[in-house]
Amino acid sequence: MLQAQQQAQTTDIESRPAGTVAGRLLRAVRSGGSNSTLLRQIALVSLLLAAIFPLFGGSFFTRLAIEALLFGCIALSVDILLGYAGLLSLGQAAYFGLAAYVAALMYLHVTQSFWLVLLTASASVGVFSFLLGAVAIRAKGVYFALITFGVAEILSKITHNTRAIGGSDGLIGIPVPSIRLLPGLEIEFANNYVFYYLVLGTVCLLYLGTRRILNTAFGSVLRAIRDNSDRVPYLGYNPFWYKLLAYVMAAQIAAFGGLIYPLLRGFVAPHLFGFEVSTKAVVMSLVGGVGTLIGPLMGSVIITFLESVVGSYTERHLILLGIIFIVFVMFLPDGLCGLAQRTFGAGRKVKP
Amino acid sequence: MIRVIDLSKSFGALRAVNHLSFEAMPNCITSIIGPNGAGKSTAFNLIAGTLRPDSGRVELEGHDVTGEPAYRLAKLGVARSFQITNLFFGLSVLENVRFACQSLESRNRFLTRLDRLSAPVRRATEILEEFGLDESADQLVGNLSHGDQRRVEIAICMALTPRVLMLDEPTQGMSPAETAEIDTLIKSLAGRVTVLLIEHDIDLVMNISDHVIVMHQGRKLFEGPPNEVRASPAVREAYLGAEHAAA
Repeated sequence: MLQAQQQAQTTDIESRPAGTVAGRLLRAVRSGGSNSTLLRQIALVSLLLAAIFPLFGGSFFTRLAIEALLFGCIALSVDILLGYAGLLSLGQAAYFGLAAYVAALMYLHVTQSFWLVLLTASASVGVFSFLLGAVAIRAKGVYFALITFGVAEILSKITHNTRAIGGSDGLIGIPVPSIRLLPGLEIEFANNYVFYYLVLGTVCLLYLGTRRILNTAFGSVLRAIRDNSDRVPYLGYNPFWYKLLAYVMAAQIAAFGGLIYPLLRGFVAPHLFGFEVSTKAVVMSLVGGVGTLIGPLMGSVIITFLESVVGSYTERHLILLGIIFIVFVMFLPDGLCGLAQRTFGAGRKVKP
Repeated sequence: MIRVIDLSKSFGALRAVNHLSFEAMPNCITSIIGPNGAGKSTAFNLIAGTLRPDSGRVELEGHDVTGEPAYRLAKLGVARSFQITNLFFGLSVLENVRFACQSLESRNRFLTRLDRLSAPVRRATEILEEFGLDESADQLVGNLSHGDQRRVEIAICMALTPRVLMLDEPTQGMSPAETAEIDTLIKSLAGRVTVLLIEHDIDLVMNISDHVIVMHQGRKLFEGPPNEVRASPAVREAYLGAEHAAA
């Protein structure tokens, strides 16, 4: 899957006009997939479509789009780990769920201040991901996936069995607060459109911030780790800290989605930690294109809408998710962005 | 430059390296030879921080570096290559070398945008020219010929501006012509860096080494300049086999 991804990236670089040697070299350095011109264009078109969507969507679909963006945060966080550090996490929902529960409990019992809730949720996820990451990252390959999966399941079971935080019913009746963006400027979450643009704006910032961070020396260490983590220490880098930083960063992004979720749905439940949410995020990034950052967000929109439509006909929409997963792994491992790169990247040489 | 004192390592009942001591002199080529299973690679792994020794010490310019992790040794100036080509196959040749150069940058520049971090690119370009790899700078390392990949192996080691260059069978799987090129290349590096070499190609070893260590069954069997090694009956018997000894 990753190999195809990398090939797609390099074909993209090679096909450009040679130009000066220095220019060619610098372009080769910027071989990070998230930085290619085509991906920028895809991101821009997606943003435009997203910006006009509420004009046609109506309130139900606008709220669904908010949900897609929130789950897109988990997909983005999966992509940082899988597409850049080469770590497959099957438990990114843990941070979504954790932030959702912390936020819900804060709103219900402590404060109505959004900023305070943001700080608390972000801090708890930060501490938790640092501790879990420090353990999980030492494990390689499938063991990392198993540890992350296991811990997310444990969190899900704990919330399921703890009466004080709602048990299997979860927490309901979470008040919808307003945010004080600036003194004198209050924004109501109750208004769907305001809510939508607020989330869209923040997700854009998260996307741009992530792209910026991964286009640094730090990001190039992650790409090297993905390619051959055993070789990295012999070049003077301790892979542990780079992976851990990527892990904590990814957790924070998933946490943002979780933090907003209770404001959208008014409840939180143990399934938010669950395997279904975690794997769905993996499928979303696969559908969009692993290692592209924008792909997972697109994937999230596609999967969320598809699920909602299919879900109104049948309870067994998970079957569809499974089929999509298999089809993409087999025929389109570099996702829709990879397909776009191969289709629109005119005159691209395809490597054997 | 690098001194190994009484180094031992066992895997279960097998004593892979048994009380090994030697010293590699600055800016010289020191080679370790020996039949398969003599413990050469284990000794390398102990020195380069891949494995921890059971006992004994490794000193770099008089400082104890025993059991230091590989990434710290690399910072201290010990670069190693691998017997089985171990590169970033999905990245370009330039990016492989640039990435190695980047590790010399100050740590607080790690969030600098890559296109503003030009020193490693410049240095990598120079290294590629020196190693005759500038033509294939943009190619994926995975698509290079085996000989060129072995060259990149040495290039990314040199990109670290090491004091000690440890080469694990650099001519592994190479044609005689390619071997001759590597021969010249290693010789040209020897003035700048201390070379520690494991090699199967006896002609190459005898040709370029200043000092040879012969290992046999985990122990040091013999040590001396190439002509003495060639003359030693014990070495002939252990390494070249009984028929050579008789001849």
